[in-house]
Amino acid sequence: MANKYLASIAVGLYSILIIVPLWLALDRLVWVAGYDVTEWLSSLDKNFISQGVLEFTILQALLSTVATLALGIPIAWQLGRYHWPFQSLIRSLLTMPFVMPSIVAAMGFMHIIGENGLDIRTNRDTWFLTLIIAHSWFNLSLVIRFCEPVLSTLEPSMEEQLRLLPGGKTKWDRFRHLWAPLLIPSVAAAACMTFVFSFTSFALVRWITLGENTLESMMASIGSSSGIKGYMVSKNEIILGSSLIQFTILLFSLWLMSWLQHRRQTLLPTASEKVVKKKNALGWIFVIPALLFAVLPLIALAISSFRITESSANGTKKYWGTDGWEYAFTSTASLPSAWDALYNSVGYAIITLLIAVPLGWILAQSIRDLEQFRPKLARTLDLFTMLPFAVSSVMIGLGVMLGMIRINAEFFYSMWLTPVLAHVMITTPFVVRIILPALRSLDPSYDECAQTLGLSPFKRFFLIKIPMLRGSIIVASIFTLAISMGEFGASWVVTRNSDWTTLPIMVDSIRSIPYNNSLTAPAANAVSTVLMIIALILFVSTEKFRAKRDGGMF
Amino acid sequence: MITVLLPLMMLSGCISESIDKITEEGEIAPEEYVWEDDGELVIVTYDVTGLTDDMITKFEEQTGYEINLMKLDDAGSVLSHLLQYKGVQIADLAIGLDNTYLQTAIENDVLWEHFANFSNISEEALIHYDGPLAVPFDQGYMCLNYDTEIVDDVNLTVPTSLWNLTEDDWNGKVAIPSPETSSPGRAFMTATVDYFENDQDNTTDWTDWWTAMAGNDAIITTGWSEAYETHYTGGYGEYTNGYVGDANIVVSYCHSPGVEAWYNGNWTKSKALDLPRAAFHQVEYVSAVQGGNLDAASAFIEYLLSEEVNVNMPTENFMYSVLDGTDLPEEGGYRYHSTIPTKAAEINATVIADNMENWLAEWNDAMVAA
Repeated sequence: MANKYLASIAVGLYSILIIVPLWLALDRLVWVAGYDVTEWLSSLDKNFISQGVLEFTILQALLSTVATLALGIPIAWQLGRYHWPFQSLIRSLLTMPFVMPSIVAAMGFMHIIGENGLDIRTNRDTWFLTLIIAHSWFNLSLVIRFCEPVLSTLEPSMEEQLRLLPGGKTKWDRFRHLWAPLLIPSVAAAACMTFVFSFTSFALVRWITLGENTLESMMASIGSSSGIKGYMVSKNEIILGSSLIQFTILLFSLWLMSWLQHRRQTLLPTASEKVVKKKNALGWIFVIPALLFAVLPLIALAISSFRITESSANGTKKYWGTDGWEYAFTSTASLPSAWDALYNSVGYAIITLLIAVPLGWILAQSIRDLEQFRPKLARTLDLFTMLPFAVSSVMIGLGVMLGMIRINAEFFYSMWLTPVLAHVMITTPFVVRIILPALRSLDPSYDECAQTLGLSPFKRFFLIKIPMLRGSIIVASIFTLAISMGEFGASWVVTRNSDWTTLPIMVDSIRSIPYNNSLTAPAANAVSTVLMIIALILFVSTEKFRAKRDGGMF
Repeated sequence: MITVLLPLMMLSGCISESIDKITEEGEIAPEEYVWEDDGELVIVTYDVTGLTDDMITKFEEQTGYEINLMKLDDAGSVLSHLLQYKGVQIADLAIGLDNTYLQTAIENDVLWEHFANFSNISEEALIHYDGPLAVPFDQGYMCLNYDTEIVDDVNLTVPTSLWNLTEDDWNGKVAIPSPETSSPGRAFMTATVDYFENDQDNTTDWTDWWTAMAGNDAIITTGWSEAYETHYTGGYGEYTNGYVGDANIVVSYCHSPGVEAWYNGNWTKSKALDLPRAAFHQVEYVSAVQGGNLDAASAFIEYLLSEEVNVNMPTENFMYSVLDGTDLPEEGGYRYHSTIPTKAAEINATVIADNMENWLAEWNDAMVAA
């Protein structure tokens, strides 16, 4: 317990980092909008900009969830029940979309539906479906990650025994009595996560369904006029109302998710994948389209960055070239170059890593230490560290922006590091989630043994703890880097200063350039490709260290 | 959650005090101005195309100031930025507040009097505001623009009244930038106030028209570029990425067809609709920001208003110059395809300033009522 002080400092620092900006932001919004909670909630229906947004958000999130499950379960089944050549590669390819920054997905799908792709963009009726498909693309990996381990390791004798029983004669019977009860907790957990991610979707909604908003994208669009006394008061009410609703829904989904996760941990007789899996030639009918689906937007993106279409009243000229890349990597008065954005992105990601990983680690360790002596307090701290999951990126962005104005606008505005605050707020909870299970699975007897052998705490830490936690720490670090590099919502709200432009924001800004510029799409796609490659490198590195059968989202 | 946070927030009233104080301090007279010339000019603006790289580099070379552009989404965000960061020196110069936004900025005391020297600004450009807190740098009239290839009196009839647009034929085919976020949107909304005030019909007013438009699935966009580029079929949007092309009439400038023609070798299918009182004279201003680097701001204002820069507004920024004796170029049919409205809406700046907040609230209610 020598690190008691360290633990208190970490908890204190975390509270300050997470609560202070959000509290100040809330305070400022309330300062403008007043305390009437019913007024906040009813403002959503009373304003043109927010009318119908909640309904749209819920509808698209529900449909995205259903679509993701419909696509994901058959694929998880094929992957889990049968043996495939290049199994781990297939699994990696199918789970990779999850680490892709949302703006990369948005640009990829924009190309697929655009005039050089399916050319359905001009038909408004296709937008909603495109959004649902894009969300499924994004979250497919969650279903696979949650369900596949259950399927691939279940002792085959269970099914064999069931075949002999009256309730297991037909496939449907076996599905009803074995697979459904077995899979439901995993499917439900994946559904919860998919719902949460689709509910708070921003980049995809912003680019695909013009004129329709989620609560998240609507808050982002009106956030810039919030927090001003006596000016556009209704905007503040809308933000407060939306945040409250969003927070409640996310909190409930996360609670449901954690409850389901608990139920997932029922012990089942497991067997090695080699025993479980059989060959299935027909399964390729599912697996090949699934693989194409997973990689298509990314390949489309990379190719389209070299495809330039020059159109005018005199006709259309299409050619291949690197002009888009050159345009993106040259700075102009209104846009920094992609080099600057890359520098910022990498810089922010590394600093975020240096803060979030140690902080998350100490928090996880504190929870673990408390679990042994004060389980109730441990549970509270555990929940507390999960709280930011219920606060969406845009809400965090607004928190940082308004918090910054409240504390010392000039200071924060001139400081290059300011956006890191948002990144740390977003990534630390993930670090805790990744390291905590690893700490729990550490057998204390190693440490006790070393203690008996007279090793100093310092040596025990470096010679035992670090090597044993290595995998989780690396996964947490890479995950932190990946989230920070791809972060869009919070940065979009906070980045009013061009010195802070990161790669995802750069993609958005280039794509938004008005006027007849044939390079906007190729240049935006070029920057997206850079982001995609970074995400791929990070993803491949985690795959190596990820605990094989954890079946979680990481 | 709320029960915990609310009392905490009430306690924190003390933190808000400093902001209240700044708000209460009131106007600062020019002789009380304090600023530091740090050799940098931070410009807060939205996508004003007039600020070309070339122009910025020239200014930097001529004056030695380093320009840092902060580009926000729209004119509304520029004003919000000034209000949010009031009393904190972040930007030195604001470019792009127009005559529908300027008064709010002035009333909230976020601007400073500049000391730039210039001359030859036309009376027309100074009509809405001629004080020292803002200088007009470009102007133009807002009009509805329509696609003559579709609105050809065969497929769709050229509207003779704004009410025509609420008919079934126009369902989902009208794109209008939102007055809540965009300055062309505000300008057009303001014009409708005047239009329906002066029409023959006394039983309906401007909000009824907007309700009918919302009911007729008018496309309301965040900004002008989304309305014009993404939705409008008559403009260059169809040559850009992400084009949707579902609107045949759009709120833009009366001279937008001129810009189209100028680009396309004297050809355009877009035409401005000249309905009396449905056009609005928009003037865009450049202003020194309170607490900013007034030296640099004034130098830039002087530069922007110089003959050398301002006469190029039509080709660089696609707006009219504010200098006396200038006009759109004849070249490429620019002037020929540009319409000067026979009768623009007549609403003066004070009326706009006094009523804007109410109008926006009424507009919102009208849209929600649909």
